[in-house]
Amino acid sequence: MAQLILKNVYKRYDGQKKKMFKKKKKKENDFAVKDVSYECQDGEFIGILGPSGCGKSTTLRMVAGLEKITAGEIYIGDVLINDLQPKDRNIGLAFEDYALYPPLSIYENLAFNMRAKKKKEDEIKKAIEYVAPLMKIDDLLDMKPSALSGGQKQRVNIARAIVRRPGLLLLDEPLSHLDGKMRQQLRQEIKRMHHEIKCTTIIVTHDQMEAMSLADRIVIMKEGEIQQIGTPLEVYDDPANEFVAGFIGEPPMNLMPSVIEKQGDKYMFTFEGSELQVEVPKRYNKVVKDKMKVILGVRPVDVLIAEEEVSSTPVPVAVYENLGDERRISVRVGEMLLSMTTPEDVYYETGQNVQLVFHEERTHLFDPETGGRIKV
Amino acid sequence: MAQIELENITKQFGDVKALDNVSLTVRDNEFFVLFGPAGAGKTTLLKTIAGAEFPEKGLVKIGGNIVNHVESKDRNVSMVFENYALYPNLSVYDNIASPMRSKLYKKDEDYIKTAVDKVTKMMKINHLLERKPSQLSNGQRQRVALGRCLVRTPNVFLMDEPLAHLDAKLRHFMRGELKEMQTSINSTTIYVTHDYMEAMSLADRIGVLNHGEIVQTGTAQEMYYTPCNEFVARLFGEPEINILEGKKYAREDSVYVKVLEQDVLLYPSEDTIQALKETDTDDIHIGMRGNDIKFAFEKPGDEWLEGTIYANEPIGNKVIMTVLIGDTKLAVTCPNDTVAELDQKVYVKFNMMNAIYFNGETQKFIIRNNMSRYMAEKREG
Amino acid sequence: MENQGQLVDSSKNKKIFKILEPIGRNLGLTLFAMFALFPLVWMVVCAFKSDAQMYNTVFIFHPTLENFRAVLVGTDYFRAFFQNLVVAGGAVIITVIAGVPCAYALARYNFKKKEDVAFQILSFKFAPEILVILPIFLIFQKIGLYDTYFGLIWVYQLITMPLLIWVVRGYFEDISIEVEQAAQLDGYTWYEVFFKTLVPLIKPGLVASALLAFIFAWNSFTFPLILSGFEIQTITITALRYIASDTVHYGQVAVASTIAVLPEVIVALFIQKHLVRGLSFGAVKG
Repeated sequence: MAQLILKNVYKRYDGQKKKMFKKKKKKENDFAVKDVSYECQDGEFIGILGPSGCGKSTTLRMVAGLEKITAGEIYIGDVLINDLQPKDRNIGLAFEDYALYPPLSIYENLAFNMRAKKKKEDEIKKAIEYVAPLMKIDDLLDMKPSALSGGQKQRVNIARAIVRRPGLLLLDEPLSHLDGKMRQQLRQEIKRMHHEIKCTTIIVTHDQMEAMSLADRIVIMKEGEIQQIGTPLEVYDDPANEFVAGFIGEPPMNLMPSVIEKQGDKYMFTFEGSELQVEVPKRYNKVVKDKMKVILGVRPVDVLIAEEEVSSTPVPVAVYENLGDERRISVRVGEMLLSMTTPEDVYYETGQNVQLVFHEERTHLFDPETGGRIKV
Repeated sequence: MAQIELENITKQFGDVKALDNVSLTVRDNEFFVLFGPAGAGKTTLLKTIAGAEFPEKGLVKIGGNIVNHVESKDRNVSMVFENYALYPNLSVYDNIASPMRSKLYKKDEDYIKTAVDKVTKMMKINHLLERKPSQLSNGQRQRVALGRCLVRTPNVFLMDEPLAHLDAKLRHFMRGELKEMQTSINSTTIYVTHDYMEAMSLADRIGVLNHGEIVQTGTAQEMYYTPCNEFVARLFGEPEINILEGKKYAREDSVYVKVLEQDVLLYPSEDTIQALKETDTDDIHIGMRGNDIKFAFEKPGDEWLEGTIYANEPIGNKVIMTVLIGDTKLAVTCPNDTVAELDQKVYVKFNMMNAIYFNGETQKFIIRNNMSRYMAEKREG
Repeated sequence: MENQGQLVDSSKNKKIFKILEPIGRNLGLTLFAMFALFPLVWMVVCAFKSDAQMYNTVFIFHPTLENFRAVLVGTDYFRAFFQNLVVAGGAVIITVIAGVPCAYALARYNFKKKEDVAFQILSFKFAPEILVILPIFLIFQKIGLYDTYFGLIWVYQLITMPLLIWVVRGYFEDISIEVEQAAQLDGYTWYEVFFKTLVPLIKPGLVASALLAFIFAWNSFTFPLILSGFEIQTITITALRYIASDTVHYGQVAVASTIAVLPEVIVALFIQKHLVRGLSFGAVKG
């Protein structure tokens, strides 16, 4: 059981040439991980979330000791682990690939590491008997890995990581090989396992839904830098910048480039190539100016269709989708589609004019230059 | 512009029956979605229509003509392949222009340029025209493939998972674009997907395929509200529909169902009683969607079932709570600020007005409340 | 950045290693290059030596063009060079024309014993030439193919065909069948699909394996030794001629060999990059 602290951690690969579509980047050696600091409390479940190439796996591998740390410090508990060998860090690690030893039974696979450490047989047996039911693999112990399905293999893989009761459990995209249903099940099992053994856990994933549902707190990364750290609800309701806003949530947040226009004593959002005008929520009056360019962010659930006259311009419905659980309605705004969702059983013809209102409290403004949030 | 008819199509790969006696009519100008799990035979069916696979048995008709022995280039169909099938040696522009440069569909270069510009703008790939497919991300490749398909106006569009490799965000927007474009496409379209949202959103009609057989065809509403069996019910909706195993007890003028070995009695709505009574088994399965289950942490009344929280997953705009009652797990959709501890007690109640009843022995659909409404939609469609 | 200091610290001890590493690497490569190139250098040196100086091991000698004169003027060496070109070139052309369709069939169509057929073709390459040479010699004499271009080109297929078929087949297998189907749906006939879409994709493999096949055919010794007489003479055989009954004219042999390897060396240097790429990468990778 341990606390994990990262202090200003940097990673740069030696002679790394990042070729993106053959366009050479200006600097050949960009930092893969830049100034990453966070603290992970004892027993906490942390999700590192980001698109591919954002440095999330590199961060995890530095914690595990599989990558050298270019600069900065990593502590587990009070111990600086920068120069410790991976085996001395008391870490359990499960990768996306299962990497079980094929000739050994599942029991032997689980026992393998403990045998290497010369643990007593009855101790090993006790440990395995504790872990197996947690990951629902108690029926599989006598089988060989080749007889298992992908989901079962991943269960064994995770069980193997926790059987030694490490201080820190690291999971690198453990679910991305699995199909939808299996993924959902295993997600629940992992969460319950964590609830049971309360081991400090870090999961790396590119799937926002996975991070949201598993983690106590989420670290969102992009291009090697941390964008935001917060609980699932915090990053959903209160995104730090445009990137986080667009990355979290399904369906994604509408992010509309807009120019603010002063009309009388009111400010209106106007959109290039569209008739649509919507009133700027009063609370923004202090920070907006006439002709100011902003990016308006509003989640599809927070866009409503007005039932009575409001000050926004009527616009025609471009797309109406009935998805059973919810209805999605989109209107065209310039080149983009502005979509809204509602669980209500409503129907709109394509081309029918509707008036939109935004949930005032839940609209966000972002700076188009920096992507940063404009706060009141 | 053509109606497509498939009659008793059977296709085998070695010992595996990819398609088993499939008969299907896709109407002129219809947007038809083939939907089913992986390995159901969707792609094979599509390729049979394209002329890239040839069935052992059965007839393929396009526009009333039997085309079993017509080469694919002469069928005037346009297809998106799941693995993109782009020409690796050609640029994006040349890839998309390719169908208009063949002898059969020859167009002059000016026309090609306008057409390519138009379609690449819509797909948001107009900045990539000079690139080779190897320099593109999967999402970009997929949009090039879609562009190459849409640049022509064939009799039939065939699309095999054209959005599958896009990230969630892009998929959401591209689906909207496709849906909006639909009205302007004057061609029959057959669209393969394993994403139920794409199916429900885009389809005029859906055909559900499993193990090479058509399970049900109908509108999205029919699939969602009156699925023909539990398999189809499970395919549509997120979280997956809960199927409760119950025992039916018939009284003279009423019926009640006991589920999950609890004492709580469930009373089906008026208009379903007759059909339930007539069902020749006492095993009744009740399909109950996550948003038709109410929950409370304090017991509000006797008619509420007791369970414990197995999992509690916030996914942004809602929380999916998994409630464990006995050995059965129920997925319940909750508001996004719901906070709960694992293994905490919770009480749930079902909205019986939206229950879907299945025969417990055959897993076939029996009845649901307000059938007439969904039947009416069926007639219109 | 305050961390920069640390950054330098950790790499300090690596600095010496960083300087030494390339030096060591280049030294090793140079040694190997000397080892590999020595026979070639020795051959070229011999070509310029007179017979009298042939056996001294000192590198100091009076270069002479006598050997060149003897070989190029005194014998019909150029005729042999030309004939070798015809035989090897002809063999490769036939191989390409017949081998590419064969490779396509082996890659695309499913027929019974397909793998056996493919392996059979490969196995031609396993058998030592000497094993089959006598029966072929007898048959060729009977049917009049002995000492003809056609006879040699035909029998060279044993050398050139398996290689090309296996390389090109791999290329065809790398191209997904959907690419072909897509092209047909775009309105192209099968032949157009083949020449416009498939041929460009297999080109690296085709070129590499054809050139390799050419080199093998060019170098072939056993077949022309037995199956050709006075009409057709390849240069590999002509080199033998300078071994007279009384003495071996090493200088002349060296000249003949040097000129014989010249086209190969030029071709190899020229296509080296393509050769490596063509034989190691698939068709669709990029």
